Amino acid sequence: MRKQNSIVEFQDFQDLLISDISPDIPTIIISSGTCGQASGAGSLIRVVKRELIAQQQTQNIRLRITGCHGFCEMEPSLLIMPRGTFYPKVKLKKVPMIISAIANNETISELLWSDPKNGGSIEKQVDIPFFKYQSRTILSRNEKTDPIRIFSYVRHGGYKQFVRLLEKGDHDYILEEVKKSGIRGRGGAGFPAGVKWEMLAAKKNTNGKFLVCNADEGDPGAYMDRSVLEGNPHSIIEAMLIGALATGATQGVFYVRQEYPLAIKHLLIALRQARELGVLGENILDTDFSFDLDLVKGAGAFVCGEETALIKSIEGKMGEPRQRPPYPIEMGINGSPTVINNVETWANIPIIFELGAENFAKVGTKGNSGTKIFSLVGKIRNTGLVEVPMGMTIEEIIHAIGGGAVGSKSIKAVQTGGPSGGCIPTSLFNLPIDYDSLSQAGSIMGSGGMIVMDENSCMIDVAKYFMNFLKDESCGKCYTCRKGTQRMYEILDDFSNGLGTPEKLELLIELAVVVRDTTMCGLGQTASNPVLSTIRYFPDEYNAHIESKMCPGGVCKELITYSINDNCNGCQVCVRACPEEAITGKKKEMHLIDLDKCIKCGSCVSVCQFDAVETA
Amino acid sequence: MESITIQKSDVESIIAKYNHSRGGLIGVLEEVQALYSYLPGEALEIIADQTEHTLVDIFGVATFYKSFSLKPRGKHLCSICMGTACHVRGGPIIEEEFQRQLGIKAGETTADKEITSETVNCLGACALGPIVVVDGHYFSNVNTADVKKIIRKTRKGLDKISIKGDERIFPIKISCSRCNHSLMDPKYPIDDYPSIKVTMSFGRKHGWLRLTSLYGSYNTESEYSIPEDEVLNFFCPHCHGELIGASHCPECSTVMVSMLIQGGGILQVCPREGCRGHLLDV
Repeated sequence: MRKQNSIVEFQDFQDLLISDISPDIPTIIISSGTCGQASGAGSLIRVVKRELIAQQQTQNIRLRITGCHGFCEMEPSLLIMPRGTFYPKVKLKKVPMIISAIANNETISELLWSDPKNGGSIEKQVDIPFFKYQSRTILSRNEKTDPIRIFSYVRHGGYKQFVRLLEKGDHDYILEEVKKSGIRGRGGAGFPAGVKWEMLAAKKNTNGKFLVCNADEGDPGAYMDRSVLEGNPHSIIEAMLIGALATGATQGVFYVRQEYPLAIKHLLIALRQARELGVLGENILDTDFSFDLDLVKGAGAFVCGEETALIKSIEGKMGEPRQRPPYPIEMGINGSPTVINNVETWANIPIIFELGAENFAKVGTKGNSGTKIFSLVGKIRNTGLVEVPMGMTIEEIIHAIGGGAVGSKSIKAVQTGGPSGGCIPTSLFNLPIDYDSLSQAGSIMGSGGMIVMDENSCMIDVAKYFMNFLKDESCGKCYTCRKGTQRMYEILDDFSNGLGTPEKLELLIELAVVVRDTTMCGLGQTASNPVLSTIRYFPDEYNAHIESKMCPGGVCKELITYSINDNCNGCQVCVRACPEEAITGKKKEMHLIDLDKCIKCGSCVSVCQFDAVETA
Repeated sequence: MESITIQKSDVESIIAKYNHSRGGLIGVLEEVQALYSYLPGEALEIIADQTEHTLVDIFGVATFYKSFSLKPRGKHLCSICMGTACHVRGGPIIEEEFQRQLGIKAGETTADKEITSETVNCLGACALGPIVVVDGHYFSNVNTADVKKIIRKTRKGLDKISIKGDERIFPIKISCSRCNHSLMDPKYPIDDYPSIKVTMSFGRKHGWLRLTSLYGSYNTESEYSIPEDEVLNFFCPHCHGELIGASHCPECSTVMVSMLIQGGGILQVCPREGCRGHLLDV
């Protein structure tokens, strides 16, 4: 790769790449993030290549391998541009047909997405409800970019904003624009990014100043940061370059959790290519501006998402949080001033300069500008990543985009904010999604996990799950967090085993309040949210467990029994699946479960196609 | 597991590599674990000897982070996701089924030292839960009946490729990227297809190398045995030009070798022995 030696040289190079775009040539785009690959995108890519060569279409049809497009439920998928045709869940055998159809500018209607509500098929991605009601400012860029090729990013306007700002050389302008955009930290707390940057810019430090991209996306159930890093790593590098221009930072660090191997791989490739092209490193594009980025891998500790713990981890120490103040802006990595922003916050920065701060601020609501990506997962029809303007209601996200519940079940709640968040009941689904409304409802925005629960989910089980998670992840520094999460878990475990009493519930509430009020970092202060929010909104479920020793969701093993109802047609699938040989019954005759042998493993429920296994 | 011998020099070279980089200790421990599959006490003592970190600090870090193990692990690592989305879709039931099938608890290794099973907090493929990852291979929407199959496949080896009958593996024809002369050698088949013949050199050795023309197979033959990690130079046997590519290997960053696909497209392969990195652009 030829290094670009000046701003003008880079701009000429970019113009050259842009002139090379032929928008009319059909392009097959394959979504191949971690989730795509888990669904077989790797095989699909090979077979598409095989067919392009076999059908001698390599000159007529282009292929682009990209990061995740968001509709994970439908992967592996093909998107055909410029027509916009979307083929979901593509079978390898259908690839030859699809390639010939593309060559003839046709579509194969029986392979298109079909609406489960009315059976009608929809050709274009933008018309499918899942995509139609989103505002995919960040995610749509994943479709345009091959993440392991920097030219692909530059061709679609990449690094243009950074180079423009480098040429302009006005730090205050950048700070003003970021402030004007109103963007708040997407990691959860919602602190205005522009204000943080301005504080860093004002700091004088001879030992350097740091920018950090926090990609320690530890919230279970949230994966938008992974998707953006895998799919568009250069956009984050560009954002941090802009941040460095504005604040005078000299060094940057990516802190990425090691559970994301593909994100780490793509990021390392991107960093190398950015240095080779000359947009990262010493004297960028022959100016006196220098900035370089390192990658540090997290080693599996949830608490390291907390900023003071993250700094310790970057320094190679145990990731225990410390008292704030001093904030990282005063005393960060190696004692130097440091600004930490989350991946999604960074991803918005180039967009702010591309659209202009005023236009950016027009999206969303007052005080909550821009879009937010949510991972819509759990018991919902369309699972995946959705990007919506701030202020959209939960109802719209769940039903218009998510397609509602799976099968005939009904949705009961949605959990937001991970282990620090809470459960929001259906009665509050008309709540607009923004930082303030969610925290009033006893939850938080968090990094954007949105886990949908239906009638077969148990809220006590959910609270117990988070408490189990938090007791393992508590670093142990504060006694109340270390012991409090442990005891809360034990009490909830008692409830799920039928050992609950009203006194224990009172103790649980008291503990939750103490833990919230007496711990030092965010992990402990919010650890009670899953408990308090489920008690607040689902008192009946707690009562059922405590008073009647029943689990309405059919989850808590000690409180349920399995039985087979007359939906059973005697197919014997469950007989074969049962590991304990507890199910008996002849072919075409109703089966029976021997409750003495049954270990309640759930195998029969998961294999039964006819809803014939019941819990009570 | 046969007892591991710790080469002091191996640990020292890892320490030297991380001496000046950020997050030194965690990086060192990660590489030591990658080498031995766990953190042997002996290696930790060497690190304490050679760096400013005390053994207490090193143990502190090694036990604080989940990804480090002080116990030897099996040949295959099986991670069961315990994220929220996987949890509500039955992750715990899958985990119990693994326990039952393998006869071990999470975090333990089977008696034959083949499989270590562990639970992880979230693997970030939440839309496809419950998720299980074995040796880097993702299994999605796992149900209890799948568990047996996953274990069987794991014991067989998930990286094994059976060339026959796999529709993802197909033959390609290759030409020199400089003189456009065909590099196909029908007289010397590999995998029952004509091989790709090039000239290669490393050190003072110079000779022929033949690659399979099946995309998806990695078989090669050469007149010399090539040491692991050796980076070869590839030449066209017709125009004698070097087949050097423009890109770096996505796996190991070595500059790749580039060849033309007859009928359109470019194939780039990593010339480092043992690396399977490649790019096929159509």
